[in-house]
Amino acid sequence: MSLPRKVDPIQITLLQKIKESLDRLNEKIEVMIEIQKHGQHPPMQNGLPDVLDVMTLLSLPDHLRKTAVTLCKLDHATADEVADQTKRARAVESGYLNQLVLMGYVKKERRGRKAYFYVEREENQNPNEMKEPWERS
Amino acid sequence: MGKIVAIHSYKGGTGKSLLSTNLATLYANRGKGVALLDLDFRAPSLHATFKISNSEYWLNDYLNGVCEIRKVLHDLSQTYAKRGRLLVGLANPSTEAIREMTAKDRKWEMKALGRLLSLKNSLLSEMGLDYVILDTSPGLQYSSINAIVSADVVLVVSGMDISDIKGTQRMIDELYDLFEKKTGLIMNKVFVDLLESKTQRTDLAKKLINSYNLPMIEMIPCFCDILRTGGTTIFANDNPEHPFVKTLDRVATTIENL
Repeated sequence: MSLPRKVDPIQITLLQKIKESLDRLNEKIEVMIEIQKHGQHPPMQNGLPDVLDVMTLLSLPDHLRKTAVTLCKLDHATADEVADQTKRARAVESGYLNQLVLMGYVKKERRGRKAYFYVEREENQNPNEMKEPWERS
Repeated sequence: MGKIVAIHSYKGGTGKSLLSTNLATLYANRGKGVALLDLDFRAPSLHATFKISNSEYWLNDYLNGVCEIRKVLHDLSQTYAKRGRLLVGLANPSTEAIREMTAKDRKWEMKALGRLLSLKNSLLSEMGLDYVILDTSPGLQYSSINAIVSADVVLVVSGMDISDIKGTQRMIDELYDLFEKKTGLIMNKVFVDLLESKTQRTDLAKKLINSYNLPMIEMIPCFCDILRTGGTTIFANDNPEHPFVKTLDRVATTIENL
């Protein structure tokens, strides 16, 4: 099958949207697989997600504590920015940050091609966060 | 970039507030810009030291997200600093405020940590201050651990009492080390007989450094004349030649070079 020489801009936008949706879907599936593999559920307290306060920070294993404290200091950060501070490899920090996301302590959002991690401190929680990861819209 | 210094101890009454207040004043007298913050919400004390009974905003309000940090700070440079800037943020001493602060939940404490961490930006970067000194609550509680996590340097103050020494050791192993903090030890109110000769001082310092596994910043003898002032004045301003002030001046230099 040959592609038309000129691709309609509407088609490009559509394809991009499809790709983004697939990326998000892929992430959700990965989360589900991880949770099933480790039997791990985000920690819940009185039906609410647990918080990343100093007592939680103290209870984390050393390698995750370093990442979590650095993220707390940076507020919003990419794995690259965290790695700059901790002097560890980007891939390592990315792994630890995603682990903290799975544990329910850290949130992740995509802005364009970059993934930003942050600690949710807002009063009004996103209603999506009350749901299991795969139930979120 | 300036430094945030938290002054902490395992037990109460070790001299944290006296050290914080005088250290802040010494830095201001060196021409530095300093903010001294009372984070002992259970037993506020700096309002009494600086004789301020009413404040439009307290540090409690800043941590509650009610106001920005600038609104909390009292500029006391004219009264207490010979050269630089001395800004003081107070904890609300009313019983109602103390009760309210002790009833906060973990979510609030997490937000308070965020507010404390952002002081680095607001006070050091934006306001260009050189030092932020955090006077904390003793022991392991939220407000003091939040302060420790937010600080660049932690000064732990201990007396010679065995319960204080043991508790401080545990805090070093199970708190400061876990947060990878630059930590220095100040032994305060040391019995003067133990510091008489150089050999005695060296032996005691070695013993303490070994048992705490921390760099010793200073051993400060017990001075009854400081107690006699009853905390009514800033000791460093009234007695610049006093050995306590000279010792604290060395502490200030050590922290500056850390």
